[in-house]
Parts: sequence; C-alpha cells; structure tokens
Amino acid sequence: SKSDVLHLYRNLLRNSKKFCNYNFREYFLRRTKEDFKCHKNESDPSKVQQLLEKARQDLVVISRQATLSQMYAADR
Amino acid sequence: MRLLLRRPQLARPLTFSVPVNARFPHQSFTVRAFSSGGFLPKQEVQERVLSVVKNFEGVDVSKVSETAHFMNDLGLDSLDTVEIVMAFEDEFAIEIPDAEAEKIQTVEQAISYVASHPQAK
Repeated sequence: SKSDVLHLYRNLLRNSKKFCNYNFREYFLRRTKEDFKCHKNESDPSKVQQLLEKARQDLVVISRQATLSQMYAADR
Repeated sequence: MRLLLRRPQLARPLTFSVPVNARFPHQSFTVRAFSSGGFLPKQEVQERVLSVVKNFEGVDVSKVSETAHFMNDLGLDSLDTVEIVMAFEDEFAIEIPDAEAEKIQTVEQAISYVASHPQAK
C-alpha cells in the first residue's frame, strides 16, 4: 500500500544517509530517489510487487553496509 | 588501613561559601540547565522551516507560505514530502518517527511539530 511504500522509501533514505563515505552516501541517496521517481506511475500490480521486493532486499544490503562502514571508518 | 581511608588534606576545604553580596551584586541573570527542555521560539522555527521549504528542489518560491500544503499548493508528490520532512530532521537535528512524519503535510504542521519538539536545535 501507499504508506508501506513511503515507509520503505524513508527507511532507504535514512540508511543511505548513514554511510561515512561521501561517494557511497550520495550514490545511494541518488539511486533511491531516482529509482522511486522513475516508477512512481507504475500501474501494473505484479511489477510493483517485484520492485518493492527488490527495494526490500536493497534496504537489507544498504543498512548492513552502512553499519559496517561506520565500524571500520578510517581516521582521517 | 585507617591512614588510607582518611581524606587527603586539601589546601582549602571541599566546599566554601561566598558572601551573598559578593556574588554578582548588580546583575540578574537567567540560568538555563541542559535538561530544561529548550523549545525553540515559534518565530525562529517558522523562518527556518520556510527557508528549508524554499530551498527544496522543485519548489516555486513564490508559492511558499505558512499555510501551504506540500502536495496541493507546492506541487510536490508523496515521495518529495518524505524528503522534505527528512530535510526538517537535518535542519533541526531531530528524528521524526514515521507515524508523525506521515502527518506532516503542510508547512503549518511542520512548524507546530518542530516548535513542540523539546530537542529541536
């Protein structure tokens, strides 16, 4: 549903923001925004489900890698 | 053992009092503790919220007002609304929970939420 999608979107942005490295952080923020906006008028339910599933998997990866990036941040 | 437990001799006692008239004789001042919960003044919140909205990508500055609705008046979509609420989080160094974030749909609601948030900076 709509609020689930927005919830997922917010979570993706939140976790993308956690990256220490500027390049990773900006890349994931940009990709998240682009991907969601690209498909905002998607009407085919099965396609929507497929995209949401992909986004959920990405969220897992992003949140894990963001946490890892904080653990091994180099002192500079 | 007794020797170890004894308090070391200090050059001056641990507490001491200052004569009343010696303390800040002329000025009155306000003390603000860190725990006092500093709500930001509404005027300042309003200005900063408006500047965040005006600087948001794709917003027509001339349409921004205190009563503007993000989607109806400013032509943003629901994804932009999520982003703009996150921009408020960055601006005021707070975290807005999802349930609250969903309710913020107008500039006015954003101002009242931030103004009533004790940790907003």
